[in-house]
Amino acid sequence: MADQGSSHSEGAATAAPSPTQGTGLDLVGLTKVFPGGTVAVDDVNLHVDHGEYVVLLGPSGCGKTTTLRMIGGHEYPTEGDIVLDGQSLVDLPPHKRPTTTVFQHFALFPHKTTLANVEFGLKMHGVSKDERRRLAFEALEMVGLAPLADRKPRALSGGQQQRVALARVLVTKPKALLLDEPLGDLDRLLQLRMRVELRNLQRQLGLMFIHVTHNQEEALSMADRIVVMNEARIQQVADPLTIATKPATELVARFMGDNNIIRGKVAEREGDRMVVEDEQRVRVSVVAPESSHGVGDEAMVAVRAAAVEVGANGAAPDGLNSAECEIVFVEFLGDLVKLHLLTGGERMLAKVSAEQYPTLRGREGERIQISWKEQDVQLLDT
Amino acid sequence: MSSSSTPERAGDEATRVALDEVEEVEAILEQKPPKVEQALGQSDSRGRGGGWTTAALAAPGFLWLGFYLLAPLVVIILVSFWTRTDSGFDKVWTTSNYGDLFHDSTYWHNMLTTFETSLIAVAACLLFGFPVAYFLALKVEKLQYQIALFIVALAPFWTSFLTRAIAWTFPLMGREGALNQLLIKLHIVSHPVDAFGFSTLSVRLAMVQLYVLFMITPLFFSLAQVDRSALEAARDLGGNWWRTFREVILPQTMPGIVIGSIFIFVLTMGDYGTVQTVGGGNITSVGTLIYSKITAIQYPQGAASAVLLVIVLTIGVWVITRFANLREEL
Repeated sequence: MADQGSSHSEGAATAAPSPTQGTGLDLVGLTKVFPGGTVAVDDVNLHVDHGEYVVLLGPSGCGKTTTLRMIGGHEYPTEGDIVLDGQSLVDLPPHKRPTTTVFQHFALFPHKTTLANVEFGLKMHGVSKDERRRLAFEALEMVGLAPLADRKPRALSGGQQQRVALARVLVTKPKALLLDEPLGDLDRLLQLRMRVELRNLQRQLGLMFIHVTHNQEEALSMADRIVVMNEARIQQVADPLTIATKPATELVARFMGDNNIIRGKVAEREGDRMVVEDEQRVRVSVVAPESSHGVGDEAMVAVRAAAVEVGANGAAPDGLNSAECEIVFVEFLGDLVKLHLLTGGERMLAKVSAEQYPTLRGREGERIQISWKEQDVQLLDT
Repeated sequence: MSSSSTPERAGDEATRVALDEVEEVEAILEQKPPKVEQALGQSDSRGRGGGWTTAALAAPGFLWLGFYLLAPLVVIILVSFWTRTDSGFDKVWTTSNYGDLFHDSTYWHNMLTTFETSLIAVAACLLFGFPVAYFLALKVEKLQYQIALFIVALAPFWTSFLTRAIAWTFPLMGREGALNQLLIKLHIVSHPVDAFGFSTLSVRLAMVQLYVLFMITPLFFSLAQVDRSALEAARDLGGNWWRTFREVILPQTMPGIVIGSIFIFVLTMGDYGTVQTVGGGNITSVGTLIYSKITAIQYPQGAASAVLLVIVLTIGVWVITRFANLREEL
């Protein structure tokens, strides 16, 4: 990619000399307070490397979009700094930043053809007509839309519009590509395909992508690293596997879904290992070397629904890491079965493979034994 | 982004395959009929079935237009070809009304100055109306405020046309009027300027104020349709304010500009009320000329003058519509 970057760099003012050079993007104590006092982003610190695919994930109103808009220059931070390859971007207007944004609803120019849409950025940067036509066609070629160059956006399907939006920003060779809910307007089936396509494209280009979404599955499937945000703050920054299996806080555990959260008191502590017991006398053991919990302290642990096994065979003799539950509902999801359970007053979830569906079907109201392994238990920060 | 080395070409291939799959999925999702002609054919047959319903729905509009627009126009055209008498006209065919008009230099001189006034009014309304519409549609964030401010802009138009026109005579532009007072207070002039009152200038100034809303309204609705995130995208892609305005806002506002221009062109070309009131009898236009012919019971000449005006208007409107593809963009 490096040689390609330099061969076209004479054109666009935002051209990156090479996507792999430089120190990357740093958000330093980034804070945004809207007039009226709403804190949208609170002291966000984050480093993103060139060539990295980072997803900002969180519920609506968590500050992820505002963070992205500050990077792109569409919001001005109240405090903090945004540094790209050693250069502070804070005081630069959007059109002078080496970043470009794919907006939520594509934001194509309705009166321009596909080609003119893609050429726009180059035109603004003073690239000659022939050169920008050539570069635009290359970009359209890359997203497979060259045959539709003369169409206006309204004559394109949602997926095609999405790809025009991508070609339009990629042609300006940004150092960082910012994507605001890029798949939000697409049908589910198309979303699944576009995930692969987008990720392929990013790998091919070796560009820094920062992608905002509220869709957990999308984040897990696409990201190198996920930044989970809530109420203006970063909750956890980790790779998808860690986010999915080792949520750091209650919020991440709840937001990622399908986690059983058990809240109780520490009943025993032996070195790194401790046992948490809740009000229903469910006893969970967890290895947490860094925790400072003592016996009697409040503690919260999470067990993924997928780690829960059904049947008495897995239960430890001392009743640890197991529970007796009532089956509330057996939900068949095609490739797996979701069991909605009740232990005492607490709801629990178990996800088992679809092969077990015949033996579980219609057993609502019956009691069942569940168990899980100690290594699947995660202590949560409260 | 052409690839030179083989591994990248393989990557391209992978993307291409993914793209083909996307196309397939989209085709399934959208359930597009294989041919456009087929879709058109279907809607056509449906249209034939409901022919009577369509006719019934269109009838009131046709009757209204026929009675209030076409019938009077036909009468005027007929009268313009009849012979003038002292008490009106005889139904004797003649083309002399037009023949006289073609050699009437006063008429053509008036046509020219009226046209000039019209062009100035269109340009001035665009110049003064655009910032107002731009501010309302793109700078005011909340819809409630937009509507409230739009009503404020509308407020002067609740007063009758005549009252506003008269305000442009003595109170504003007269010898003792506000404009002269202001210029004297500011020591720009030492004596009241007589040229302000009952002049071509005062007529043209008044017209801008009287008609500017006909420009603001269509402009406002055009500008309100401009996708604000597309403006952000334009900024993001490197466009400064002016380039964004030229490349993104203006082209999308053309339908509004065209409709506003048609309104003002047609209204000012035919205007005689403003000219009569604000011009105080000193100023003439095609409108006042027709009016004076009618009051002098020269109906055939008046009718012929009106028909020529309609022809000029039709040509003017046709020229204006060339600036935007209204059928596609509305």
